Amino acid sequence: MTAAAYPTNGLNDTVHQRHRLGILTIAAEAKSADFGYLRDALDLTAGNLSRHLTVLEEAGLIQVWKGYEGKRPRTWVRITGDGRAALAAEIAALTELVRRHTPARAGPAGQDGAPS
Amino acid sequence: MTDETPESAADGGQDGPGDVGDIAGERAANLLDEVSRLRRQTRTRRHAYWLPLLLFGLLTFLSVPFYVQPTPSRIAAGHTVTSPVPYLPGFGGLARSGWQGYLAVYWLVAIAAGFAVTYLWYRRRGRRVGLWTPARGFLITGAVISLLVLILPLTGLVPGDLVIRGTFPFMIIAAGLAVLAWAERSRALTAIAVLYAGIALVASLYNIENVLFRLGWNPSASQWRLTGLPNVLLPALILLLAGGGAYFAQRTRRRPA
Repeated sequence: MTAAAYPTNGLNDTVHQRHRLGILTIAAEAKSADFGYLRDALDLTAGNLSRHLTVLEEAGLIQVWKGYEGKRPRTWVRITGDGRAALAAEIAALTELVRRHTPARAGPAGQDGAPS
Repeated sequence: MTDETPESAADGGQDGPGDVGDIAGERAANLLDEVSRLRRQTRTRRHAYWLPLLLFGLLTFLSVPFYVQPTPSRIAAGHTVTSPVPYLPGFGGLARSGWQGYLAVYWLVAIAAGFAVTYLWYRRRGRRVGLWTPARGFLITGAVISLLVLILPLTGLVPGDLVIRGTFPFMIIAAGLAVLAWAERSRALTAIAVLYAGIALVASLYNIENVLFRLGWNPSASQWRLTGLPNVLLPALILLLAGGGAYFAQRTRRRPA
């Protein structure tokens, strides 16, 4: 087996961190996702979530912007085209990893964009 | 989410097949399970299509009086004079007498209001839930088709077979629902939109009362005025049932276990 063929080579260091993968997954499901929704859905503290968002934003995988709803400040997150591509590549790599090592679980759900 | 990091899955996997690789595969499987769970949860929170289904079902139901044909006595009394309403076959069909003359105005307002309210509903819900659905395409679809329906007759291009019964607005609603199904990434709404589009097409091209006649409906003289209503009531019923079902399904799925 060559190193190039091994599925972990398709894993992106920025994306495959569990929480960042979760952020991208949620952001890919909506036009944009609210900071509060992400924090609750991923069970993170505001500080932790901010750090993960910074990493993803610096990598160009998401856009973050702040606004107001009335007097209440809100932060929104939108996945970029690069972010969608990175998420799809990550899921493909994970799926391939599963296919190689756990045949009984081959073919898990995880195709990006498939309707529910 | 747990604190388990996927880096360990990747690192373990680099060693190739064997126990370490199997552990990496199992961890990758757990990650994929979590991705699927988050995706399902997010879609469940985002889905809100019960309102447009009920809204357009209600608007269709409220249009019923406009499809009641004038009585023969009113026709004889000269009440079939041309309606003062502009000729808008895409919204009101080819009939221009009695109440039917105002069908075009009703649908013009109802379509504009239905699409606008649906768009505002998704905006409001996006703010409340914290997840935005891209509903602008839905609004644009309604506006573009409505504009074409208004402009085409001016050029002499009127798809007569489709507009003759005054049910073409159902096709505009069907197109909007299809765009909404894409935005919502919902198989259920896709199925509803396809079913509704089929019913809308049948209602535009065929007199559904013929089926009822074959099933034994023998309308009295006074009931003949109502024979056009099955073409309206059936699409309305589909939307109201689908909307009601979607409302209860979405409410049940969101309820914490």
